[in-house]
Amino acid sequence: MCARSDQTSRLHARRTLPEVTVPGSAPVRHHTIVWLVWAVSAVAALQLASSPFTVLLVIGVSTLLVETCAEHRGLAKAFPILVGAAAAFSLLRVALTALTTHGGPDVLVRLPSFRLPVLLGGFSVGGTIERAVVMRSIAEGLVVVGVIATLAAFNAVVSHHELLRLLPRAFHELGLVISVALAFVPSTLAAVTAVREADRARTGSSAVHKRRVLRTVGPVLETGLERALLLAESMESRGFARRAPGRVERRAGALSITGLLLLSGAFAGLLARRPSLAAALAATGGCALTIAVIMVSRAARGGRLRTTPMSGRDRAMVAVTVAAPLLLAWLATAGAPLRWDVHASAFPPLSAAAAPVILLLAAPAVPMLLRREGRV
Amino acid sequence: MSAISYRGVTVAYPDQAHAAIAEIDLEVRRGEVLLVVGGSASGKSTLLRCANGLVPHTTGGRMAGDVVTFGRSVREARPRDLADVIGFVHQDPESQFVTDRVEADVAFVLENLGADQATLRRRVEEALDALGVAHLRDRPPAELSGGERQRCAIAGALAAAPEALVLDEPTSQLDPQGAEDVLAAVARLNADLGTTIVLAEHRLERAAGMADRVALLEGGRLTAEGDVRELLSGYAGAAPVTHLGRLLGWTPTPLTVREARAHAGDLTLPAPPPRTGTAGDDLVTAKGLSVRLGGREIFRDVDVRVGEGEIVALLGRNGAGKTTLLRALAELQRTERGVVTRAGRVAFVPQDPSSLLFATTVRAELRETLRLLGRDDPAAIARALDRLGLSAVAERHPRSLSGGERQRVAVAAVAVGEPEVLLLDEPTRGIDADSRDRLEAALRAHAAEGGGAMVATHDVELAARIADRVIVLGAGEVLAEGPARDVLAGSLFAPQVLRVLPPFLSVDEVAAARGRGQA
Repeated sequence: MCARSDQTSRLHARRTLPEVTVPGSAPVRHHTIVWLVWAVSAVAALQLASSPFTVLLVIGVSTLLVETCAEHRGLAKAFPILVGAAAAFSLLRVALTALTTHGGPDVLVRLPSFRLPVLLGGFSVGGTIERAVVMRSIAEGLVVVGVIATLAAFNAVVSHHELLRLLPRAFHELGLVISVALAFVPSTLAAVTAVREADRARTGSSAVHKRRVLRTVGPVLETGLERALLLAESMESRGFARRAPGRVERRAGALSITGLLLLSGAFAGLLARRPSLAAALAATGGCALTIAVIMVSRAARGGRLRTTPMSGRDRAMVAVTVAAPLLLAWLATAGAPLRWDVHASAFPPLSAAAAPVILLLAAPAVPMLLRREGRV
Repeated sequence: MSAISYRGVTVAYPDQAHAAIAEIDLEVRRGEVLLVVGGSASGKSTLLRCANGLVPHTTGGRMAGDVVTFGRSVREARPRDLADVIGFVHQDPESQFVTDRVEADVAFVLENLGADQATLRRRVEEALDALGVAHLRDRPPAELSGGERQRCAIAGALAAAPEALVLDEPTSQLDPQGAEDVLAAVARLNADLGTTIVLAEHRLERAAGMADRVALLEGGRLTAEGDVRELLSGYAGAAPVTHLGRLLGWTPTPLTVREARAHAGDLTLPAPPPRTGTAGDDLVTAKGLSVRLGGREIFRDVDVRVGEGEIVALLGRNGAGKTTLLRALAELQRTERGVVTRAGRVAFVPQDPSSLLFATTVRAELRETLRLLGRDDPAAIARALDRLGLSAVAERHPRSLSGGERQRVAVAAVAVGEPEVLLLDEPTRGIDADSRDRLEAALRAHAAEGGGAMVATHDVELAARIADRVIVLGAGEVLAEGPARDVLAGSLFAPQVLRVLPPFLSVDEVAAARGRGQA
């Protein structure tokens, strides 16, 4: 092997192949830790400042980051889909809450009411729909949309493989499988587009609706399966999962199962109203799982590709994004109106101090925007 | 000692009546470049996949005989066990990237092999340098051109310093420059490192010159193996210069343009007549067409037209905007500026035929198009099947067919509706000579009946054979447009025959001129 490597080394000086590169501006890339800290900070900010205006600001910041920093167009395309799904879920939640929860003086509308069977909870559905209930439910739903927008933006901007490298070695295979699965999101979206286009192209651009689902689902599934098989072959050919589990891994596996059983026991203890027993089981189970992870991580052979070092800019980004929830926490203790009490005011509050603090979360987009302006 | 030894190998996939390969006895010698040729469904991919155990370990099926790779039997050793001695590269570079960074993907095999940190770092650098892709290390594979992607995929296989590389049609999806880069890199690995190369290819214009030996597969059987010149001189899928040499009785039969030129000397032939496909009325015209995608300008102020009875070839490297232009003409792509005028129906056959096919039989696939158009015309179906040589497989499931047959089914499924204009995106990608000939014949028949066609392709030989007019796209605009002979004559990637015997574009033209000369 060494002799072959030496031979390869001789090729260093002979790099004369012409390059063909698709033009396009590569985005400014932040360290994965920057994005992790950003996601945690944004979610924390949403918890601290749940007023609809601040939530909308966080959603806006997330959109800006996807627009400026997303490297994977496919994952960027998934952003509006995920936000839309969250909005639909929130609307459904608003409807269900309004129909089943009652309180407050301002009645918006009166609906017929009926009581569900005991088996389904036995509560009443319909009746009066109050403003406070609807408004509070909308505000809570908006926070859900904000959290999903934050996570969808994180998904679009972060390098999944670098994220994987930050995990303990014990989770390498699992993380890789998840990262490969995520990579199928953009390719599936592309396949859907291609199939729909092919469908229209077949008849010379005539709009065709008959049996459309069948004509779309079949080829998309086929394309996905073919791609999955090729990828599996590629992974297999490159030695994935080559090493059989050794003695340490087998012991760690047994320890993990024990840990999970103990945690299940803790849950059962909670149900049986034995909190001290539950706490003891949970602590022991947690320790067993932690030890198992450490054992597998230490037993992992071989090196890993260099982890990208954090630059000064990355550290600055971390500092700025962490500052956002810290400043919001300080504002909250100082009495700034960061939450909306639907009973106290008809309109959500907008804190003049909170808005610029939330905008700190947009810091990772600044280098890209400056680059577009040609300043860096 | 052999690098890879096939000993009486027969492979039959589940639910297949016939064996994919049968009774193969073949020795791949250490340090050689073995070129595997054969038509679609001849068993090339199966033969290659046996080398590292992908067949039978990932495909299932029955296998008789044995393949011994560097002393290890693939019956016992799984592909992952052989990853340190043999690297495998698929024809589709996109589907073999596991990670979202080139560098991480190259390191993937080493991480799996448990290489220590120092070895891993060094080998990654060496593999990136060997393929000339070090500058792409931090790029996502999705952002790269086809040639770059394929070279990165080879780097990913090379990082483990394998004794052999197996490449399954690595250039089938690449433009001429990308294909040149990939094959040059492979040739260097063989020459400088002594890496054994097993290469399956349909496009032999470049590959034939670098091979030490050829193995010819037909119907799953190894019908011949041995000297490249000897075997390819009689092979239907050989490069145009080889066909030219055979036509003109040149001995030894040339494999490269350089060899053919030495034979051509001062050979004189009557000048070829101008191509007769002079366009009638315009069927589709685009004026001042501009398209932007994801903030990037794909092309601007492009004017194109396709007339009655005309075949237009659209050339340009990967990413030049050929597909986008076809989609804009087919009303599938939103344009920023410009007007497209259509005098009839414009149908589009996409690059990937799988995106079009969903019916349970080939005949049903064609019937579906007519049903959508509100027609029921069994005669039209029979005509389209016959024209594309699909009558024999009319009752088969489209997805059970070979790549070339699938491509023909996709074309038939669109052509059966008798649109005035056919737009074909890379119709000859990865297909064999027989399928290519049938597609060309179908296109000529469509033009002869007064239809128009535009074909986006990397295959300059295809353009040379069928195009009346050629348009070259690049840098976001039309770089050249005119009669095929004029445009191709000025190209660095001119077709082989034109480079040997200008102004002839194809072997057929030379044969016709020869006939006229003798008459």
